[in-house]
Amino acid sequence: MSYKYIGKSYNRPDAISKVTGKAQYLDDIRLPGMLHAAILRPEHAHARIISIDTSEAEKMPGVVKVVTGKGCDLHYGDNIKDLVPMAVDKVRYIGEPVAAVVADTTFNAQKAVEKIRVEYEPLPVYIDARDAMSEDAVLIHEENGNYWHLPTLNPQSGTNVANLYRLKKGLGKDGFSEAEVVVEGDFLYPLGSCSAIEPHGSIVWFKEDNTIEAWSSSICPFIIRQDLAYSYGIPESDVRVHIPDIGGCFGYKSDITVEQTIAYIASFVPGYPVKWVASRKEDFTSTLLGHGTRMIMKIGAKKDGKLVAMETKVLHSGGAYADTAVNVTIASTHNCTGPYEFDHCDLSGYTVYTNTPPVGAYRGYGHQEAQFATERLMDILARKLGMDSLELREMNYLCEGKINSLGEKMWRTNGDVKACAEKVRNLVFSKEIIHEDENFFYGRGFAALMKSPKGAPFSTKGCYMKMNIDGSISINMGGAEVGQGLRTVVQQIAGEALQIPPERIRVYNDIDTQYSPYEWQTIGSMFTTQGGRAIIRAADKLIMILKQTAAQVLKTDVDYLDYDGEYVFLKNDPSIRVAVPELSRGYITSDGITIGEVAQSVSDARLPRYSNPDQNGQGSLGVEYTFGAQAAEIRIEKKSGKIFVDHFASTFDVGQVINPMQIRGSVMGGVLMAIGATLYEKVEFDQDGKITNPHFFKYHLPTYKEAPQQTVDFIENPGTVGPFGARGIGEHPVIGPAPAILNAIYDAIGIDFFEIPVTPEIIKKALATKHQKEYA
Amino acid sequence: MVEKISFTINGQLRVMEVDPEMMLIDVIRDVLNLTGTKRGCDNATCGTCTVVINGKATKSCNTPISKIAGAEILTVEGLARGKELHPIQKSISESGAIQCGFCTPGIVMELYGLLENKPDASELEISNSLNKHLCRCTGYEPIKDGALMAQKLMQDRNKN
Repeated sequence: MSYKYIGKSYNRPDAISKVTGKAQYLDDIRLPGMLHAAILRPEHAHARIISIDTSEAEKMPGVVKVVTGKGCDLHYGDNIKDLVPMAVDKVRYIGEPVAAVVADTTFNAQKAVEKIRVEYEPLPVYIDARDAMSEDAVLIHEENGNYWHLPTLNPQSGTNVANLYRLKKGLGKDGFSEAEVVVEGDFLYPLGSCSAIEPHGSIVWFKEDNTIEAWSSSICPFIIRQDLAYSYGIPESDVRVHIPDIGGCFGYKSDITVEQTIAYIASFVPGYPVKWVASRKEDFTSTLLGHGTRMIMKIGAKKDGKLVAMETKVLHSGGAYADTAVNVTIASTHNCTGPYEFDHCDLSGYTVYTNTPPVGAYRGYGHQEAQFATERLMDILARKLGMDSLELREMNYLCEGKINSLGEKMWRTNGDVKACAEKVRNLVFSKEIIHEDENFFYGRGFAALMKSPKGAPFSTKGCYMKMNIDGSISINMGGAEVGQGLRTVVQQIAGEALQIPPERIRVYNDIDTQYSPYEWQTIGSMFTTQGGRAIIRAADKLIMILKQTAAQVLKTDVDYLDYDGEYVFLKNDPSIRVAVPELSRGYITSDGITIGEVAQSVSDARLPRYSNPDQNGQGSLGVEYTFGAQAAEIRIEKKSGKIFVDHFASTFDVGQVINPMQIRGSVMGGVLMAIGATLYEKVEFDQDGKITNPHFFKYHLPTYKEAPQQTVDFIENPGTVGPFGARGIGEHPVIGPAPAILNAIYDAIGIDFFEIPVTPEIIKKALATKHQKEYA
Repeated sequence: MVEKISFTINGQLRVMEVDPEMMLIDVIRDVLNLTGTKRGCDNATCGTCTVVINGKATKSCNTPISKIAGAEILTVEGLARGKELHPIQKSISESGAIQCGFCTPGIVMELYGLLENKPDASELEISNSLNKHLCRCTGYEPIKDGALMAQKLMQDRNKN
């Protein structure tokens, strides 16, 4: 299919403002009368609060108000209302808000916060789910089970298990009776940080007219609006949320994070906007972390390699509040089959309260943690069967007609994982093997992957489209631009749908819940698919309005007319026509009477037939699956144990590439982020629950020199949901790197690792042990 | 305690009374309202606060204001001439180097400090400079492409 504007690299509409320093991020906003907040964090990760003395803080210069959680009865959350804006009688993690100071400047607020004295009675601290699940563990939430929660959740009262999700397919565990070979392993994808370079921040303003106005570095303005309206008992229409430019999200700016805390603080100083921006340390300790996922996985197969059964237990260290963690656990559970069909599945996911910052979304969540285990076990199974690991995979791919763990049938239009794997095989495995030399071991590893869609019953995305008097177009949507380039994609899709050049389409900049159409939240790699569909539906409506007006002008029926972006004309005689701009505000006749409607439209789009899980944990996520394959070529330095990723190849069946430059950028950034998780990044805790590396010089993000050469390739089997057949791509690149690199490590040195990050120290130790054994 | 201090920023002479302990980033952002210079970490690791002081790319988050008396400072707002972008801005905006844009001002100023002083900088020198900056979005390759494009544009400009 050939397109006019799709599949070409248009430049981003926000490129100039970002390169000139004029893009406005949260911390760049200045409002009249604005005050600044600083927040006190506890000295213990789990403790009762005995007393708080704010008297010294109140005397400090510039202080307007000191706030504590005393008497606060607010609980919030989308899935489980277990969150509180400020600790009331107990702290549950080291970054929890205990008290706050509002002052004229940030500096004065911080100085005053240091004067607050708190007395605590420490409680036992649990970092790992297994410890929090032990029978004698103290309850982190005595109220577990009594909080409001979604009807699909299953909290275990009287324990630290916030939710237990079970999925059974076929015979479940009994399916292993058909297996001839079994492999198993215990895999850990530890706690990590999304670490956008822009930290979290919010401004909240309680106004004298009983409305609330807020700004946040968030991708969920409509959730924030709904949540604040609920908490403060006012109509949603009286809460207005703005989203400025966002300096990266990668997951942890979704859902509601810091906004309720800042709102609570601001509610004590009505009339004044209150700003708070996280320090980097607070961005680690006091927002959301990612992962924390232990996968205990068992796979059964026939001797010929046909997979038959899978049993997986997901032990998820979900942090001190489970509202966002439950989704991570559930996704890790049903996505853990990876891109393979198993006739029988017994999968269980435990979301466990622990004394760490709450776990929430992290780019790709539920996929990379789960398929890390699957893709490592596929290599281990291949070795056990004496098969080529790519051939073993190929026998079992979820292709047309196969049924996934949730019971959904795969269609041809879900894409072709085999073709992706074949491309990657040619890119990496057709090369000659490099043998160990004096300084290095060499290896290469493969991972196939599956990405499920992310939906909810009301997970819609909207589009407002209006034609201006000169025929140019203005578009408003609720999709948050976090860097992924969605505004370019909007321009291109609208251009194609309306047959109007993207240069004549101006796309919204900030989101404002008063003016932007409703969007659930910009998550799950769903914007191009769902938002793009909404654009096409809005464009179809707008074109129909133009045709209806033109039908009156040209004195004919609508179905005799055609449209090409410039004119509406008679199908059988294009010379009988009316120019599109003349129809944009209705058509003004020669005597001044206007006929027809203004050319503007509104639309939305959701996933087809999304449904909640049934009693077996099965359901429909809404059709739109995506597949891909990735591979790593690595080098391990013998002296240091350091791993160098020399080349990383990725291929995804994305249906249709919208913007080649942007999609390549998305993939390369995602791959490097996951290389960071595989080799460097882990949020470390001491036994008291303190984070020991909440800074970039200790929590190492991959730098320029650590970036591998990348090959990025796509297959385009159009889907049925997204615009022009396009599927999502935002999260997919992070899924394969960890297993591909660990499979490559085995290829290089014959050692299996089950945990990331694999640091030089770990490699050196493992090599020494291996050496010892070989000579024993 | 405040001290009178004067310096030039983006070609304008500024005289102000400030606490000499203040860091340059706070003066730039909060006193002068030049919000293009960003803060991304607590201890001079991420590089997004980089500005050019007397021709040299420098992190503004750990530079006390007292050290810049009499200095010439350039921030990202000072590069374009009206609507005409500096070659580094033009290249970085077209090479795919921009996603969220939060690291961009620091990288632009880093490259300015390098390439205006040394238009023939080697690829190693360019990579040493870029290695001081964290970017979470791009995987760095498009930033390298932008830097090399900028270098070429600047070499051409300098010939004319």
